[in-house]
Amino acid sequence: MRRKDDLGHRWTEGGVERAVIRIVRRLSPGWARRRITRRTRLHTELGWDEWYVLRVARPVRAALHETLDDRLLLNAKTVGEIVVMVWARMAAA
Amino acid sequence: MKARAVAAALLLAALAAPAHGQAPAPAPPAPSPPAAEAARWELRVGHSYSSPRALTQPATAVLEQEKGEPLYSVLDAGALLRGSLAPRGWVELGLRAHAGSARPPRRRVYGAMARAYGELDPLLVAVGGEYLADGNFDVRQPAATLEITALGGAPGLGTWVSPGLRLRWRPWLGLSWGSGLRPYGRLAAELASGRVEAGLEATGWLVQGSAVAFLQGDVSVRLVGGLFLTASGEAGRAAPRFEPDGRLGVGLGFRLNVPL
Repeated sequence: MRRKDDLGHRWTEGGVERAVIRIVRRLSPGWARRRITRRTRLHTELGWDEWYVLRVARPVRAALHETLDDRLLLNAKTVGEIVVMVWARMAAA
Repeated sequence: MKARAVAAALLLAALAAPAHGQAPAPAPPAPSPPAAEAARWELRVGHSYSSPRALTQPATAVLEQEKGEPLYSVLDAGALLRGSLAPRGWVELGLRAHAGSARPPRRRVYGAMARAYGELDPLLVAVGGEYLADGNFDVRQPAATLEITALGGAPGLGTWVSPGLRLRWRPWLGLSWGSGLRPYGRLAAELASGRVEAGLEATGWLVQGSAVAFLQGDVSVRLVGGLFLTASGEAGRAAPRFEPDGRLGVGLGFRLNVPL
């Protein structure tokens, strides 16, 4: 199933996942790409403090053309939750 | 010197399970925000509300007994209620107490605050109001505050330095306007290794042309759930009185995080 971002680009959930993992990897340069999965915990594994997760917002806007709610981002505990958050905001293609 | 037995008291509570998973969007997805984005509030209990580190620092309670003296207590605790009132910002309401019978009333501090945040990547901006009082409410200090911090951009700023070095830090710059305009800065750093956590928080103010500072730190070992064995200390001059103070103690600490 495909969905559209705010600019009308079509995405699969797998594509969203790969894009989010690329973003997370750039924000955690010490971590190897293969160590970051949907289950990776942002705070306990990557060590993001409660504000650092907000750094996801801008690259998500740039790459996935979706604007995430700050407070929802603050509640995200895993990479997978960010993927779900972005995917949930996309409209049916 | 009198022998001092430090007998810890207190409770409590396992850390609430994270359980913040967003429900998958229904199919077909609605163009409007899904139900999972409905306002959510959470209650957090920790040492203070002054900084991110302070809120991951366990609240501590210590009972002290000196021969021939009554039982004394030392309590450092705070609570924070966080929720959203707008899609791109959120608010926090906090209370904190720096109290206990081992501290004379003039060295006790009670505080309450309300803050609103906005993310302006690469900065985070917070505006708020805070009310501080000493134990007798002789010194009361209401103030409006403006604080900023960089979300990231330097090694260890907001995230572990590396997988092998679990050290991170975060600076805050602020302006407080109450009895005059008072600039301040705060640096919070923390280190984690297995069940052991250590934190340090330094705050400096410019008070009537003079610089004053207050330093607090802790080393905590997680026992079970949200319960810790905690050694904590503080030194310097803390608001609102900015009088010299210092303390070192060991006690039980607890942290609580309850989604509402």
